[in-house]
Amino acid sequence: MAKARLRPQTEGYLLLAPALAVYFLFAVYPMLDVIRMSFSSWNGLDADSSFVGLDNFRAVLTTDPVFWGALLNTIWWTALAVTLPNLVAFGLALALNQNLPGRSALRVVFYLPVIIASIAVATIWKWMYDPFFGLFSNLLTEWGWQGLVADWLGDRRIALWSVFVAHLWQSVGFSMVLFLAGLQGVSATLIEAARIDGAGRWRVFRHVTLPALKPTIAIVFVLSVINSLKAFDIVYGMTGGGPAQSTQMLAMWAYTQSMQLGDFGKGAAISVILLAVTLIVVIPYLKWTMGQSEADR
Amino acid sequence: MSLFSQAFRPVGSTRADPVLVALWVALILVAVIWIAPFVFIVFTSLKTNTAVMGETAFALPTDPAFSNYAKAWARGNFSVTAFNGVLITFVKVPLGVFLSAMAAYALARVPMRGRRVLFLLCVFGTMIPFQVMLAPIFKQVNAFGLINSYPGIVLPYLAFGVPYQVFILYGFFSAVPKELSEAARIDGASHFTIFRRIFLPVSLPALSALFVLDFVATWNEFAMALVILQDPQKWTLPLGLMAFQSQFQRDYGQLNAAIVMTVLPAAIVYLMFQRYFVAGLTTGAVKE
Repeated sequence: MAKARLRPQTEGYLLLAPALAVYFLFAVYPMLDVIRMSFSSWNGLDADSSFVGLDNFRAVLTTDPVFWGALLNTIWWTALAVTLPNLVAFGLALALNQNLPGRSALRVVFYLPVIIASIAVATIWKWMYDPFFGLFSNLLTEWGWQGLVADWLGDRRIALWSVFVAHLWQSVGFSMVLFLAGLQGVSATLIEAARIDGAGRWRVFRHVTLPALKPTIAIVFVLSVINSLKAFDIVYGMTGGGPAQSTQMLAMWAYTQSMQLGDFGKGAAISVILLAVTLIVVIPYLKWTMGQSEADR
Repeated sequence: MSLFSQAFRPVGSTRADPVLVALWVALILVAVIWIAPFVFIVFTSLKTNTAVMGETAFALPTDPAFSNYAKAWARGNFSVTAFNGVLITFVKVPLGVFLSAMAAYALARVPMRGRRVLFLLCVFGTMIPFQVMLAPIFKQVNAFGLINSYPGIVLPYLAFGVPYQVFILYGFFSAVPKELSEAARIDGASHFTIFRRIFLPVSLPALSALFVLDFVATWNEFAMALVILQDPQKWTLPLGLMAFQSQFQRDYGQLNAAIVMTVLPAAIVYLMFQRYFVAGLTTGAVKE
């Protein structure tokens, strides 16, 4: 042997080390640290922080004037975000899965907003919502419907839904691509066989296509929930949480508490609540997929 | 008409299906709505403020004001933000994909203790949104004295990119036939050599897919950059656009020119490499 060889296991650990080191230092550690921070009081400047037990959680849940509103907005947003864009995406995917001309060009069009920076999407829509010269007021005025022109982002009753429409435009393409890939995996022979047996469009869809799409639907659901819980850029860019906190959401409120108001303990408590909600969705899903892949073997 | 001769026909049928024709018309209408914002943005970016205020939204910019782009470039400090964006992306993306590939190879092909646990930890990481814990990330980067520095943003980007990339490449490497690496093992090649000489070349399609996906994600990232890069001289394009929006929101033409310049690189990368996007997204999410 020309030169001394390392044991395979040592080589393996050496290959693993760099990725694992950054992952632990800058992702896993902050996640554990946020839990510790949520039990302490820290202003971001002092060298040390003091342990305060559950005070931060108590403050967030009882005296924070914004938390419950932000929670409610996050719940509404999540409920809408897992249904509306995904139903549109599912419809588009079903249509694009048919033998139609120009469908790859159409797919590109629907996916294009996904690759645009969320902050740019926010800027685009903020400009379109401009009550004086924006796209919507311009078109409505032109069509003689001036009465419908509203201050879409300035009116606290509708601001959150206006932001959501921008999110819908941006997120449909992502779910659509996942659904399309799922549909491509549905066995064509199975559909053919059902057709020959005399099943109509609806019954083929209900009894062949839909059951085969179960894993796709699950992943789209989980990703939509996670994306809703972390909604940040688009709200920050369009309204900054306003007017009068009417579009405030938990991820941004955690950021505001820590980074703007300097209350890292309270910010961390909100983060921990959000992480806990995320885990409630993620862990059953991971268990389920792990079970599926074990069963496949 | 050759494009249409085979269209609208269900599998195994020779006649066009009226339901499919209706569906197609509906799809075109939705597509027009989807593309309208882009048209509006590009048109506005070529208009002067007078034109924006006086004309209808989709009026063609008859006397295109290309100067909007030059002015927005200068006022928005684009030479700085574009440079930072290019630098951060071109360091982070190749480095990240390479580190992930090394780790994925070790997890998939090197027998060692604890690899199942480490893999599960990775899968878990793909589902954790960092947007909910910006403050602890800020604190950690600050502890290393790296706020407002390039490594300060690249390191957390790497950390949050690793899980998904390892997950995808793990699947890819596990599917490579055993014979390919075992022959090399018997010839005395180390795992480093096998990884570099065999696995990197055969996984080029997967690596390219991750490369373009990560390029767009890194180019567009906002929340983490917001807390770590507070010095305008270190800003990336999304941060620059955000500042431009709040400072010059009444200069409609220039604001829209700034939007176009910010999103154009990612859009071009997407249009050039679209098939990689689909591959990169779906191999992970939708397993056969």
